[in-house]
Formats: sequence, structure tokens, C-alpha cells
Amino acid sequence: MSRALGWLAALALGAGLVMGFGVAPREVIQGNVQRIMYLHVPTVLVAYLAFAVVFLASIAYLWRRDLAADRLAHASAEVGVLFTGLTIAAGAIWGKPTWGTWWTWDARLTSVAILFVMYLGYLLLRGMIEDRDRAARYSAVLGIIAALDVPLVHFSVYWWRTLHQPPSLLKPGPATMPQSIVAALVVNIAAFALLYAYFVAKRVTLLRREEEARA
Amino acid sequence: MTYARRAWIVLWKDVVTERRSKETLNALLFFSLLLLFVFQFTLGGDRERLVLALPGLLWLGFVLSGLVGLGRTFLAERENDCWDGLLLAPGDKSAIYLGKVVGNLALMLVVEAVLLTLFALFFNVDIGRAVPALSLVLLLGTVGFAAVGTLFAAMTAHVRARELLFPVLLLPVEVPVLLASVKATEAALAGEPLSAVAHWLKLLAAADVVYLVAGLLTFDALLEG
Amino acid sequence: MTADHWGFVVAAYGLAAVVLGAYWRRLRRRDRELTTLIESKTARATQPKRQR
Repeated sequence: MSRALGWLAALALGAGLVMGFGVAPREVIQGNVQRIMYLHVPTVLVAYLAFAVVFLASIAYLWRRDLAADRLAHASAEVGVLFTGLTIAAGAIWGKPTWGTWWTWDARLTSVAILFVMYLGYLLLRGMIEDRDRAARYSAVLGIIAALDVPLVHFSVYWWRTLHQPPSLLKPGPATMPQSIVAALVVNIAAFALLYAYFVAKRVTLLRREEEARA
Repeated sequence: MTYARRAWIVLWKDVVTERRSKETLNALLFFSLLLLFVFQFTLGGDRERLVLALPGLLWLGFVLSGLVGLGRTFLAERENDCWDGLLLAPGDKSAIYLGKVVGNLALMLVVEAVLLTLFALFFNVDIGRAVPALSLVLLLGTVGFAAVGTLFAAMTAHVRARELLFPVLLLPVEVPVLLASVKATEAALAGEPLSAVAHWLKLLAAADVVYLVAGLLTFDALLEG
Repeated sequence: MTADHWGFVVAAYGLAAVVLGAYWRRLRRRDRELTTLIESKTARATQPKRQR
């Protein structure tokens, strides 16, 4: 099953590249460096998806004590941290030529950085508890607290700073971006979502087999 | 035995233990005084700059001493082999959490009050008129720290390298509380009316509620052995 | 016209490809390791008892 997902993801990523470099036009204001967005925006959205899954899986675990939920939370957190790291890196690489600096403490970047550190801590906690059941329970609690914190982080950091582009995709009213750019974004978002699903599926399987091997 | 009574017993036990040994409070107060010196040595010279940074420095001091104090929440239970006692406690174990949170809140507020006074004295800042506003901000902010800190203290109690993991887990989660508290403190010290920072105060209140409810609901899961 | 900074674009996509590729390879490698591990475990478990 995960193999089919893998091929689908690869195909979609290919399509995404075509859309991002072939179909989407050269952006008027930023030039071609804007094409990094077709990587940066999907990775951040998928990262949020990953952490939402961690939240739900954590609740499911505490409620049902089903280790499958725990494995899903673990895998999703790992892939989420990966994508968050990529988001920050791609954002920094984009920021250097456009804003003139690798890093700035603007709202979006700071929020994502905090997110990165929170879930890195989640993985650290998991790594430091030997007992399987305890690791599952404690991680679940942390996964829930971290997710509940995300909106709080957003508002606090946003009120504290703003420099980032105003969110164009989710603004109500007519889209401020040309259709082809929106289309390229959507395809890439779908592609990275599929990649996330593939990675998580494989990771969950690996976790289950690790337990099997250890038994 | 009612829920409130059980929470009260946990709180009372900690207060009595602390009153006898005065270990934690004295150490924290001394630590805060030393922080004051460190701030002066690292940032001092220009008094203007220090006064401008005062809200941030205050909360830096609160957070650093809070990390030390909160991290020790379950130290007594751990060191004296009383952890199982917590596990075997009858009824809803979140009463233990509540008792511990209130205890931590009281401890942190005492340290904060002393630190605030010391800052005002040493850096020659008149905070008299700001005290009511500051009290509210300190209360709201400290509840936010105590609520999550107590939960994470239980979480890291049995983990190796807990002194490392506790701040690593707590600090990112507390960023909203920290930002809001510093901004509101800034306003209070500048003599602005609190209505100017109403959005920050509402965020603090919301955070406090979220953290406390989450703590009450999940604490049980941390104590299952 | 603003400069294109293609170098940065390549750097970003290149980094993503390397990181994601490395993660994928790690998953595959662990998968193979586990397969050998589990297979040797089941082989040992189902080995017929030595007759005297």
C-alpha cells in the first residue's frame, strides 16, 4: 500500500516541478527567486498537517491506549519536524536575496521556529524514555500541549512582530495571485502531502516491525 | 474525601515541608539576588539601557528562577521513594496536580515579589504606582508558567537528564506567556493603563485556562506508574 | 528587471532533494535491516529440535 503511495507521491512531485518551473510565470515583483515558494509553502502547510495528526493521534492514544495511535503520533512528529526544518531552510534561502538577510524575527518565521523546537523536544522526550508504555503516555501529553499551544504562539508572535507577506492564499475575496501561480501551489501542496503520507506510512510500519524485532 | 480537600492536603504538605526546611525558598531568593548581579555585570554601565530592558530582565529573572523552582516540584516524592504514594492515591489524581500548581504559584509569586523589589532598589526605579497593574500581570503570567511547569515536571521526573529536558520542553511552549507578560509589564511600568494591553492580558488569561484544563485532564496519564 | 537569483532557487530545491532523499534512504535501509533481523528470528524459532 505504501508503495503505491510512494509512486503517487513521486509522480505528483514531478508534476509539481513542472508546474512550478514550467507553467507558473516569472513573478513580476520578485523574479524567479519566487519559485522557492512552491517548495516553502507546501512544506509549512504539510508540517502543520503533521502536527495536527500528532494532536489527534495523541488524544486517540490516551483514550484508547492503542499502540497504533502512538506509532502514528511518533511517525507524524518525525516527518513533521523534517518538513518544518525544510520550511525554515527554504525560507532563509529565499529571504537572503529578497529581504537581504538569512534570518529575521518576523511573525511567521518565529512561529515556525518555535514549532520546530517544540516538536524536536517531543522527539527528544521519546528518545529518553525507555519504557514503551510510559514513552507513549508522556509523548501523548506533550503532543496535546504542544498542539494547543500553536494558536497561542501564532497570536502572540504576530502581535509582537509583522514583516512577512500577508497571507494571500487564504484571504477572503478575490485572489491576489494569477491563476497559474495558485494552480502551481495547489499541485505542489498536494504532492508534498502525498510525500508526507508515504513517509508516515513507511515509518509507522518500521516502528511496528521494530517492536516485533525486539519482542 | 472531596477533590478540593485532597488538593489542599498536597498543598499543605508542601507548604509545611518548605516552612521547616526553607530549602527551596532560600535558595531561590539567593539565586534571584545573584541574577541581579549578573544582569548588572553583563548589561550594566548604562543605567538608561538597563531601565529600558527592565521588563525583559524581570521576566528573564522570573523564568530562570522559575525553571529551577518548578523543576523541583516532584523532587521530594522522587527522592524519598514516595512516587508510588502518588500513584496509589485514591480518586481523581488531578487533585494532586492542582495542589502542586497552587504551591508552585505561591512559591514563584514570593520570589517574583522579592526580585521585583530588589530590582527597583538596585536599579533605582520607582515602581510604586505600577504595583497594582504589575500584580495582575505577574499573577496571570505566573499561572501560565506554573500550570505547564508542574505538568512537565511530572513528565521529566523519571527521565534521565531531566535537568536538561525540563527547560528544553518548557521554554518553547511558554513563549506566548513570556511575550505577553513582558509586553504587559512594559505597559505597566510605563504607567500606561492596562486597557492599552488588553489583548495581551486576554491572551494570558486564555493561555492560563487552556494550560490548566489540559493539565487537569492529562495529569492522570502521567502518574500511571 | 529584478535579478533572478537562480543559485538560491537551486540551493533551496537541492537541499530539499538531498534531505528528503536521505530520509527516504534511511527508511529503506532500516526496512531491509529489520527484514533480515525478523527473518533470522523466525528461522531460529522454527528450527527443528536436534534429535539425540
